[in-house]
Amino acid sequence: MIGDLYQSPLRYGATYEESSADGVNPRPHWAHLMESLRAIGPEELGRRRARAERRIRENGITYNIYGDPLGANRPWRIDVVPLLIPAKEWRFIEAGVTQRAQLLSLLLEDLYGPQDLLTRGHFPASLLYANPAFLRPMVGVQVPPHSSLHMLAVDLARSPDGQWWVLADRTQAPSGSGYALENRTIVADLLPELFRTSNVLRLAPFFRAQRDALTSMAGIDNPRIVLLTPGPHNETYFEHSYLAKYLGFTLVEGADLTVRDRRVYLKTVEGLEQVDVILRRVDDGFCDPLELRSDSLLGVPGLVDAVVAGNVKVANGLGSGVIESAAIMPFLPGLARHLLGEELKLPSVATWWCGQNKALEWVLEHLEAVVVKPAFPSLGMEPVFGSELSRHERAKFIERLHTFPHEYVAQEQVALSTAPVWENDCLNSRSVVLRTYVLNTPTGWIAIPGGLVRVAEASGSVVSMQRGGHSKDAWILWDKPVDTFSMLRARDEPVTLRRVPRVVPSSVADNTFWLGRYVERAESIARLLRSIVPRVLRAEQAELQSLIRLHGCLGSRRSKTRKSKRNPPTFAALEKEMLAMLTSTKRPESLPCTLQEVSRIGGNVRERLSADMMLLIGKLRNAMQVEPGAELQDYPTLLTACLELLSAFSGMERENINRGSGWLFMSLGRRLERAVYLTRQLREITRPLPAEDWSYLQCLLEVADSSMTYRARYYTTLHPVAVLDVLMADETNPRSLDFQLQHLADLYQKLPRHVPADLKAMQEALETLRHIDLRSIEYPSDGKRPHGENGLARLDQYLAELEELLPSWSNNLSSRYFSHARVLPVTMGQ
Amino acid sequence: MIYKVSHRTSYRYVRPVSFGNHVACLKPRSFLHNDLKYSALDIHPAPTTRTERVDYFGNLLCFFTVEEPHEELVVEAKSEVVINNDADRTAQISLPWERSTGALARDHSIDGLVAHQFQFESPRIRIRPEFAAYALHSFTPGRPMREALLDLTTRIHNDFRFDAKVTTVRTPTEEVFKKRRGVCQDFAHVQIACLRSINVAARYVSGYLRTYPPPGKPRLVGADASHAWVSAYSQDLGWLDMDPTNDVAPTDGHVTLAWGRDYGDVSPLRGLILGGGSHILRVEVDMEPIET
Repeated sequence: MIGDLYQSPLRYGATYEESSADGVNPRPHWAHLMESLRAIGPEELGRRRARAERRIRENGITYNIYGDPLGANRPWRIDVVPLLIPAKEWRFIEAGVTQRAQLLSLLLEDLYGPQDLLTRGHFPASLLYANPAFLRPMVGVQVPPHSSLHMLAVDLARSPDGQWWVLADRTQAPSGSGYALENRTIVADLLPELFRTSNVLRLAPFFRAQRDALTSMAGIDNPRIVLLTPGPHNETYFEHSYLAKYLGFTLVEGADLTVRDRRVYLKTVEGLEQVDVILRRVDDGFCDPLELRSDSLLGVPGLVDAVVAGNVKVANGLGSGVIESAAIMPFLPGLARHLLGEELKLPSVATWWCGQNKALEWVLEHLEAVVVKPAFPSLGMEPVFGSELSRHERAKFIERLHTFPHEYVAQEQVALSTAPVWENDCLNSRSVVLRTYVLNTPTGWIAIPGGLVRVAEASGSVVSMQRGGHSKDAWILWDKPVDTFSMLRARDEPVTLRRVPRVVPSSVADNTFWLGRYVERAESIARLLRSIVPRVLRAEQAELQSLIRLHGCLGSRRSKTRKSKRNPPTFAALEKEMLAMLTSTKRPESLPCTLQEVSRIGGNVRERLSADMMLLIGKLRNAMQVEPGAELQDYPTLLTACLELLSAFSGMERENINRGSGWLFMSLGRRLERAVYLTRQLREITRPLPAEDWSYLQCLLEVADSSMTYRARYYTTLHPVAVLDVLMADETNPRSLDFQLQHLADLYQKLPRHVPADLKAMQEALETLRHIDLRSIEYPSDGKRPHGENGLARLDQYLAELEELLPSWSNNLSSRYFSHARVLPVTMGQ
Repeated sequence: MIYKVSHRTSYRYVRPVSFGNHVACLKPRSFLHNDLKYSALDIHPAPTTRTERVDYFGNLLCFFTVEEPHEELVVEAKSEVVINNDADRTAQISLPWERSTGALARDHSIDGLVAHQFQFESPRIRIRPEFAAYALHSFTPGRPMREALLDLTTRIHNDFRFDAKVTTVRTPTEEVFKKRRGVCQDFAHVQIACLRSINVAARYVSGYLRTYPPPGKPRLVGADASHAWVSAYSQDLGWLDMDPTNDVAPTDGHVTLAWGRDYGDVSPLRGLILGGGSHILRVEVDMEPIET
């Protein structure tokens, strides 16, 4: 009996319910799971689900939905209950999808090769010629075996009679296998006892096979393999970085690659490194603006020519998108007989391609019964349900069908099967679609044991991640011992020790540099705010000017408070300003926005950071979130907590990251940012500071965490020159200016290909600083600028020059190492 | 007729270009009455890499990269072509046009397939009812293909005005059709769109046209231009060239360079550069008849 687990009685008959045949008793292979769920109980399941959701948020598992208010980085949604498939049924599905992959691969190779299928009339030429995804430059190009259709994804659904049908094929750049892997990790962790006792087929061997297949495609030892992504704005970017990390490939964007001498190179901080294999997640039409779509900014100019020359292998092959079309489905049974001498094992959902007269006639007669879709995905049209059209719409639509018959397919609507989903402390029944993956390897076709189950929203049978649906794991309950290989688990094979540092693509260096800068910026802002806020709350009039000076160091462009003489600043205005800096999600210089930037940039290099570091970044993103109605006095504790997280981050940065180029750039970013803030803070002293505002000095020591050092040396005497000594000249103080400049020079010197002139500029800045004799400075207590030659004026001049030098030095670094200057298309007219 | 053609393209950049990746479609293809005797492509600065390839449509492409900083790129194509296209086809009677277009989808022969693909939309050519309506004035029921084609060519010539200022290489064909102005490339696109909208296979031809100096004046070197026209398929007569800009069926005054679905397939020189800023483009074409 499973009825008690469900919120409402199970409907059965109209659709196929995966867990039960009669709505009362579980199907035999579901019995163990149902017992386990009952044993665990709703409370504990709720707790585990919450744990999973926390983990998803902290690991930054996201799926970007275009036009979603949550925008990019929408947390991935996954259900606790896996879809169960017994061994016998899986063998049937596996045979079906591997046969399909074999067939589609042969079709693809013929369309870009001899085109026998066209000349013999087995495949309509118009279906090829009308298809915008047919990439003519790829016709006749020799590519290595197994690469054209390296991976196929097949969307499967089960009809009320229990039969599996193919809804769609994904041949372009199939997505989701990485999410399937992440789902497995999470669900196996949520239901450990059930997973252990269910003899579930493991996923790792499938990914090992993928890595091996791509490696063998290169035809050389130790090839360089990259995963080409459209970038962080893509809906499945999380998956790209996750897979790159898991498979050990370098994650790159088009701008990271360049073609020289018909070879593809990765731009790294060390120079150009040749790329042998590209696993692409960029649609093929966008891969080369020289020969394919000239408006593409995602591609690599000259890539097609490098493929033609045989110098780089691309998977899936360029052009594979041509068979990602429902319009080919009606021809598959005939092609299976012709090409394989077999019947098609897994039927496709009934499909009519309107490009054929008879099919079009049938569709027009049965428009109410079908859903009409674009024949080619690039046409980007929403499905049209014939039964939902008004008489007027219907007439217009029929006219379009007559004018552009090639562009449409009609499909029968499938009543999807339902499966149990855990929500609101009980089970509910939801429509599901299983996406499974097949790999083309030198040793044969390999299907992923399971795949990604996509679940429809509460009602309706439209299953789409873009529409906000969620997902499930799929467990194949095996009837033999399972291979428990994991990518990182020891195997009894010898290991060659390797100490090759991972290459650092220029774009990664760029991001790590800015990650360093933003983390330090967040820390500087948090430290300044923590010093200002309690004093604003105390509101001692004598301190007001000091606080305004301190506020000026925040770098807030709106800090005009000081400049207006007619409206003297007030504590009320400052309080308002502080709240804005603490809470605003619109002002780019506010703390929340800076933390948001940290999280965004961290996301760009997630495959380069440890899980713990990503976790910290995830926590930092939400560090300043408070209950509604919070007041200024609630913030100091929050700021302290935020600073703790930032300290943890810098601790990891020091102790947990290999001292490769990536670390150098992050440290350079941090030192540079700290130098920028310090210079700004020190100039308040050298401009100079009137005696009544000397409380500023105390705040500054606090901000620089140097109060103890100062007190140990000068007891309670507060003097500007002494503060300058501690915060500017003391080379042993990690928060002094001297320390920053020295490290900038040292770190820069370690970079490969550094520019001698830039190194010299930094070394000279340090030398000049060290030649400044603070003892000779007579500090004017009236706050007036001293006349003539004076040590203080010279010092102020030095800091002013440093304020100019730092940003230009940073720009030089950018153009040397991060040159992403986009290539511009040029078409020469007549 | 033998022609010596020289086609010089120069690009002056405001800022140096550090890397350029280009493809040139400037070598005349050789076929039937368009016999290529000689061809050379000079590129300055000297390209780092240079490869030639025959593209999907049978055109001769040259891929090259310039990997040294340069402020000017000069590509000069020189060729010698024998044109032997004086056959008088005016007397030929072709099939009614509908019979030719309808049969193409069922024709699995290589020639049939080659023609069939030019019945579909391409990046710069949309199939639209307004194009079809315009074409159907010439393509009346049962009219022989050649006659209908000539009529459409004449109508475009009369209805559209040559104006080099209103369009660029990126102007959509629909806009040209509305404005009724443009250059040879635009007229060719309009005619192709009209033909494909009524299911006639049509392709874009790029090439050169012999121009004649005013009576008594010497021939000016470099005053010629690269040219474009269309070719349509008739099942009985094969490909028929039509030049809507000049209202003629090309004979021995036209030298064919390349063909494709539209301009995008055969643009003479395109590329991607790193740096450069804005640029000044100069094209000089000279077509010299050396022997008749």
